Amino acid sequence: MNKNVKIIIYIVLLFFAIVSIYPLYHVVITSFKSVNEYLDNRVLPPIHWVTDNYKVAIEQGNMLYYFWNNIILIPAAMVFYLLICIMAGFAFGRLKFRFRLPLFLIILFLMIFPQMLLSLQIFQLCAKFHLTNSYLGVILVWTAYFAPFGTYIMSTYFSTLPYEIIESARIDGASTWGILTKIATPMALPMMGILVIIGFQSMWNELPFSLLLLQKMEMRTVTLGIAMIQGQYGIPDTTQSAVILIASAIPMLVFVFFQKYIATGAFSGALKG
Amino acid sequence: MALRKTNLQTQEKRDAYWLIAPLMILTFVFILFPAVSNFYYSFTDWKGFGFVNWIGFDNFSTMFQDDRFWQSIKNTLFLLLFIPGGVFIPLCLAALLRGGLKGWKFFRAVIYLPNVLGYVILGMVFNLFLRSNGPLNSLLQMAGLHSWALDWLNRPFLALLSLGLIYGVLMRIGFGTIYFLAAMGGIDEQLYEAARIDGAGWWTTFWKITLPSIRFNIEFLVVMSVIENVARAFSFIYTFSHGGPGYSTSTLEYGLYSLGFINSKMGYASAWAVVLFFICAIIAIMQIRLMRRPENE
Repeated sequence: MNKNVKIIIYIVLLFFAIVSIYPLYHVVITSFKSVNEYLDNRVLPPIHWVTDNYKVAIEQGNMLYYFWNNIILIPAAMVFYLLICIMAGFAFGRLKFRFRLPLFLIILFLMIFPQMLLSLQIFQLCAKFHLTNSYLGVILVWTAYFAPFGTYIMSTYFSTLPYEIIESARIDGASTWGILTKIATPMALPMMGILVIIGFQSMWNELPFSLLLLQKMEMRTVTLGIAMIQGQYGIPDTTQSAVILIASAIPMLVFVFFQKYIATGAFSGALKG
Repeated sequence: MALRKTNLQTQEKRDAYWLIAPLMILTFVFILFPAVSNFYYSFTDWKGFGFVNWIGFDNFSTMFQDDRFWQSIKNTLFLLLFIPGGVFIPLCLAALLRGGLKGWKFFRAVIYLPNVLGYVILGMVFNLFLRSNGPLNSLLQMAGLHSWALDWLNRPFLALLSLGLIYGVLMRIGFGTIYFLAAMGGIDEQLYEAARIDGAGWWTTFWKITLPSIRFNIEFLVVMSVIENVARAFSFIYTFSHGGPGYSTSTLEYGLYSLGFINSKMGYASAWAVVLFFICAIIAIMQIRLMRRPENE
């Protein structure tokens, strides 16, 4: 490649890198400024670094409640989600049964509806069955909403597994359940890593359902909690910045440790077929 | 043997229904039923509590005369105008990076980072960033561009424009670039070799080889972007602008929330939901046809 061309590419890349990262950098420096300093110094790094904002965010923002709720909700929902996606993905990708295609198309069709369109009724449904302000309600709704996409990914993956291995196991008398647990699932482990990441990100960042179903402060998730803090009157920008950073910590860690999975995961949703 | 085979097949069928049962039950209860029952409630004056009265097409005639409804449609359409930018920029970045570049991994991580944080956090970040006394305006003033330091979030058109540029373009770059790069990795290198021998320049190669080879991926990303704009924008708008000022950044999806849950007009919101249902149905059919097109099987 020509040297000048290379320099232009770097400039273009640098531009987009700065555009994506600068607002976040600004949140970082703001979170370490005192309210008074932020009045005069918006853009430069703090002259006096303070951690008060974090203290206020955790104590008055009740952030620990939110993290606790996520610790309970997400793993529990994840177990349901994985089981359902693997079972249904295997059936759709691998087994022959009547109405397989129409049912699969319905599932693909249901993937698209926005959460708010469903929430008008989901809220009433959950209120009727005492599922508002309850972990179970959110777990069921999350699983129902995110499982179609996970099922789609798993079924595409299962359908690419070598045909002979599964067929010979069946001839040897293995049951469907046995094939699923002993042969297909172990072969699908790499894909399940991606499924976990996709599920985790969807649930961690979910707002509309939790906004409507978890109305008590003690029940809020991290994402819901910080959205509510933003809406409170009189929360200074510096505290808000600290809140944002505290809430970003876990998604960032996941990103750092599972970057490879995230990159491939981004692709898996758009595989052909 | 033949008997055993049919037995196996019946068994397989029965097992299959058991395996899909949990998914089908959950999605029918929490997706299909809610989506379809909006049709019934759109003909009622339901408030979310109390009695439900059948009022015929009243909600729909109100809706078609409601400025707020047309504003939401206009806003939703306006956001779609940003899709070409949100697809073309990643396409160019990916084409530039296709040959590999030192430090690419670093840039990739930085550009992708916003995607990890989720729309709620990003909405908050850009809300802070664009305030009239916020850092963007401070930067512009420091650069001497005083007339550029505008009240981004409180002027109707500026707020919508900012939403389009940030949500419709900026947030699409990270995923799009990675996605297109992966797709371009699958193009046969010999095509490029042949083009080089024919003396084709970079631009010609881009139009004649790169673009046609990943046509499916481009179409896919366009459909995905339509979905993000029409059906996934609530969380971002909620923290970025709360649909305001007025209704100037409120989409159909956001309108459902403010009408149904803030104004307690569930019946009327259901009428909006019916419109959104049909829009989503069209998009879903486009997406399914794209994914299941014979040449993509």
